[in-house]
Amino acid sequence: MKKHNIILPLYIIWLIILVLIPFILMLILSFAHTDGLDFSNISFSLTNFKEIIDPVYFDAYANSIILSFLASLICLLLAYPIALTITKFKNNKLKNIILIMFILPMWSNMLLRIIGWETLFQPNSILNYFDISLNLIGSPIAVVIGMVSTYLPFMIFPIYTVLNKIDPAVIEASYDLGATKTQTLRRVIFPLSLPGIYSGITMTFLPSATNFALPERLSAGKINLLGNLINSNFGKTFDYGFGSLLSVILITIIFILTIFINRKDKDGDLLL
Amino acid sequence: MIKKFLTTLILIIGILLLYIPILIIMLLSFNNSQRPYEFNGLTFKWYTQIFSDNSLFSAIINSWSIAICATIIATILGIFIALAINRMKQKYKPFVMFLNNMPILNADIVTGVSLMIIFTLLGFTFGRFTMLLAHIFFCIPFVVLSILPRLKQLDNNAYDAARDLGCTHMQAIRKVIIPGIKIGILTGALIAFTMSIDDFIISYYTTGEGFSNFSTWIYSRLNRRTFNPAAYAYNSIITIGSLLILIYINIGIRPGGKKIEKN
Repeated sequence: MKKHNIILPLYIIWLIILVLIPFILMLILSFAHTDGLDFSNISFSLTNFKEIIDPVYFDAYANSIILSFLASLICLLLAYPIALTITKFKNNKLKNIILIMFILPMWSNMLLRIIGWETLFQPNSILNYFDISLNLIGSPIAVVIGMVSTYLPFMIFPIYTVLNKIDPAVIEASYDLGATKTQTLRRVIFPLSLPGIYSGITMTFLPSATNFALPERLSAGKINLLGNLINSNFGKTFDYGFGSLLSVILITIIFILTIFINRKDKDGDLLL
Repeated sequence: MIKKFLTTLILIIGILLLYIPILIIMLLSFNNSQRPYEFNGLTFKWYTQIFSDNSLFSAIINSWSIAICATIIATILGIFIALAINRMKQKYKPFVMFLNNMPILNADIVTGVSLMIIFTLLGFTFGRFTMLLAHIFFCIPFVVLSILPRLKQLDNNAYDAARDLGCTHMQAIRKVIIPGIKIGILTGALIAFTMSIDDFIISYYTTGEGFSNFSTWIYSRLNRRTFNPAAYAYNSIITIGSLLILIYINIGIRPGGKKIEKN
């Protein structure tokens, strides 16, 4: 098994270089003030921490949490019944067609799908032909609709995977023991599907809060989320210190989630 | 009865939410007017412009070449990494799995920024090479994760039996292990390809020198006159094409095929 002995350490080194070292660098940058990535004039201070509690950014934090939460919640409310319905299809062909219908949109470019919504939400859109003007650009509703539309499949599939794995005998046992359909759903199926829900929320909440192109297009730049803050600090103002601090906070949240999910999901097959 | 009506309604809402933007893009791809709010006749001109707009066409080619290269490299590496992780001591496994899962769970923008920082410090020239490297980086974990559960199901003695019967190490892997995990490999490759070809944020942070894939090409041209609706046309071809392929795979030759069911 010599080959394996080489590739694994190499992979670990590769991950350390591309995951751990950037994290450590950003951690250092959080406490520092630099000229972009020029470390020669580095000076350490806590200004970034002062900046992070500047009320100017509170809107962005609140929007990130509220809008992404709403989007994830709507995704969950839609995805759970959808996933449950798909598992119940007896006809395999029909089941596959429905599954395909939910996979297919992911093969259409994400930015273009957002532009699709954008053209529809503009005051002047093709809907004017039907005397309708949605005029939603700039509203939180537009952003939430965009988020749900983009990330719904990422909620459906983890839940579907878990539901599909539930042993039918368990459900039959529940009926045999006298439980009604609703009781079975609430007491048996739902608790068993929790890991799928956790992973679905992770796959929708964080991307919603950190995708900068989506709010940029659907709110015409009026609504900023965490992703927009990070993007503008790294891409426009080159304030790497503040951008790093925000990223480090995000990574910490994700670290905790990763540990949580790894514990719940030993095979790691819920992340797909 | 009400419950059935409700689930049907939810199914329809879900499908509408996913398909409205795609249908709009298709509509725009046939729109003679370049302004998205007016429709003045059908045209196929955007479909021919996919090939005549050089910057768009090269962005499309870049998307495909990066996705194909990244998928092939990530799949081959992923197989051997998964084999190694499967055989490693339980003690260190959580650490490796933790590092492996980070790129999947991490926000794209954080991954993009991380890579940008490390590539800058390593002195890389941003462009085709850095983008490919980034794509390989985020594709490998998906391949590893789809192969590991299949490896677990595989009988550990199969490899040893193959070796006892005279196979070399590589022969045993090629003839015994790979066929056993074939579905995992295909799923992983498919997910890797899907992630790579549609990627925007990570590509945005790891490209440079005018090298763009389809997504970064669109982003840099939004609201500009250089934006060409041929992008809508290309996207519509991809949507219809993938629909036909998926239907062919699932219904045409293998009814009840389980390949794409997972994600």
